[in-house]
Amino acid sequence: MKRTLFILLSNPLSLLGVILVALVVLCAIFANVIAPFPSHAGAVVDFVNFNKPPQWPSIMGTDLVGRDIFSRILFAYRISLVLGVVVLSIAVPVGVVIGLAAGYLGGWIEYCLMRLTDVFLSVPPLVLAMSIMGVLEPTLLNGMLAVTAMWWPWYTRVVYNITRSEREEGYVLAAEVIGAGPAHVMFREILPNCVPAIVTKMTLDLGFVILIVSSLSFLGLGVQPPTPDLGSMVAEGARYLPDSWWLTVFPALAILVAVFGFNLVGDALREILGAEQ
Amino acid sequence: MTDTLNIRDLTLDFKGHSGTARVLHGISLRIGRGERVALVGESGSGKSVTARIVLGLLQELRGVRVGGTVEFDGRDLASLTRRQRAALRGTAMSMIFQDPTSSLNPVYPIGTQFTEVLRRGEPGISERDAALRAATLLNDVSIRDSGRVLGSYPFQLSGGMNQRVMIAMALANEPALLIADEPGTALDVTVQAQTLGLMRDMVAAHQTSVLFISHNLGVVREFADRIYVIYKGRIVESGTTRAVFDAPGHAYTRALMAAVPRLTGGGIPEIDDASADFLAPAVLHAEAAP
Repeated sequence: MKRTLFILLSNPLSLLGVILVALVVLCAIFANVIAPFPSHAGAVVDFVNFNKPPQWPSIMGTDLVGRDIFSRILFAYRISLVLGVVVLSIAVPVGVVIGLAAGYLGGWIEYCLMRLTDVFLSVPPLVLAMSIMGVLEPTLLNGMLAVTAMWWPWYTRVVYNITRSEREEGYVLAAEVIGAGPAHVMFREILPNCVPAIVTKMTLDLGFVILIVSSLSFLGLGVQPPTPDLGSMVAEGARYLPDSWWLTVFPALAILVAVFGFNLVGDALREILGAEQ
Repeated sequence: MTDTLNIRDLTLDFKGHSGTARVLHGISLRIGRGERVALVGESGSGKSVTARIVLGLLQELRGVRVGGTVEFDGRDLASLTRRQRAALRGTAMSMIFQDPTSSLNPVYPIGTQFTEVLRRGEPGISERDAALRAATLLNDVSIRDSGRVLGSYPFQLSGGMNQRVMIAMALANEPALLIADEPGTALDVTVQAQTLGLMRDMVAAHQTSVLFISHNLGVVREFADRIYVIYKGRIVESGTTRAVFDAPGHAYTRALMAAVPRLTGGGIPEIDDASADFLAPAVLHAEAAP
C-alpha cells in the first residue's frame, strides 16, 4: 500500500492524474457547496443574464437561459460519476462471472458464452447504445442500461483470457487435486489473479463511461434537460460557435479533465499492479 | 490386507475427430500399504495420465474412455460417484507436482493456503489451531522459522523451500496414497536430492503409500521399493528395485538404463527411438517376500 502510494505520487504524470481525479470527485461530492448558483442545476431561467461571457460571479459565463455554466458543470460531474460507478458496478460483476465461467468450465458453456460476447462486441458500442436508447425512452435509467449492456463484454474478454492461461497453472491443478470444486477454483484461486487487470481497466473505463454518456447526451439520447450533462451542454452550445464560445469550451474542457485524469491514474495502476505480479 | 492401490487392465482412449487414440493398453499395477512404487518411462509413455486416472480427474472429462478397474483401498473408483471421488482427493490421496512454485497460488500467503488444506481434512479447525498444526508440519520438513514462511508469498521463497511446503501440505491430512509426479524436476539437483530424502523419511514415518512417477532412474533407485517400467502405454517390466536394476530383463529397460549419463563420461549411447524389441512381452520379476 505504501509502495503503491509512493509510486503513484513520485511520477509527475500519475501525480497529475491523482490530482485531477481528486478534483473531479471533490467537485462532484461538494457540488452544492462549491457552486455559486446551486439552483441553476434545475429548470431555472434568468433572462436578464442570458448568454453572458465569463465574468464575476459567473466565471465560466452563462448559458442561453441565463444559468451559471460553472455550477452546471459541477452538477454534471456528479451525475457522470454516479452513472460511471453504477454502470461499472453492474457491468464488471456480470462480465467477470461470465468470463470466469467460460474460461474455466470450457466446452459448450464456453462456446455459447463467448459467442454471445462476440455478438455484443461486434456492434460498435455507440450504435448499440443508440439503438437501445432509440427503442426505450431516453431517460437516465435507460441510459445506464444501454451503457451497461455494451460494457460487460470487455470484462468478459479480459477475464476470459486471463482465466484461460491461469487454468493451466500448477496451483489450479493442485487445488483440483485436493478436491476443490469449480466455484472454489474460479472465485478463490483464479479470480484474485485477475484483480489487477480488472481494477486497472475499471479506472480507465470510468473516464470512458463519462465520455460515452456525454456522447449519448450530445446526440440527445442521454441525460435529458433540465438535468445538466456535459455532453448535452456541448451540443447545445455548438450551434453558437464561435461567438458564444464559453457555452462549448468549458463543458468540453470539463470532459477532458475527467477523462484525462482517470486515464493517467489507470495507466499508473497498470504499471504498479503489473510490476507486483 | 488390501492394497492401497490396485490397478488391473487399465485402458485409456481419447476420442478425437479422427477416431479414438489408445493411450494406455491395459496396464496393471499394485501398491501395498506403506510401499513406495515407482512408475518409470519416457515422456508421453502414459505415466501422468495414469496418475490423473487414479485421482479421478480424467474420468470427468468428455472424450475420454477409461477401461479396466482401479481399486483404491479395496473400493472400485468407477463405482463411486463424482462427489465421492472428489471427497477422496486431498484427504485420502494427495499429490506433489513438478514445479512447486507454480503449484502454489501467487496471490495468497503460504499460511492461508495451508489453512485451506487443513480445512479439507478437518473443516472446523480454527485459525489458531491451523497455524499451530502448520508450524508443526513445517518443522517436520526441517523448516525452523515457520512463522516467516507462513507469512510469505510463494514467490518470496526459494524453490526448495516451496517444495518442502508442498510435501508438508500433501501429507498434512495423513493421506493413504501420495502421488508424486516427477517431484522437483524444476529444482536443481542438490535441492532435489535433499527434498527427496526428506520426503522418504516423511512417508516412512506416516506409513504412506507412494506412487512415484519419474523418468530419472537415479532418483528412482534411491527412493522406490518396487519399479514398473512403462513404454507406450504398456508395462514392460516390473519387480523390486534391486531385481530390476541388477538384471534388467526387457530391451527397453536396458535402453533406459543405458541412457543415464555417467560421471565417468563416455557420452550417451546411440539408442533407437523405437525398436521391435521394445514391444516384446513384459518381464515380470518375482515379487519380494511380503
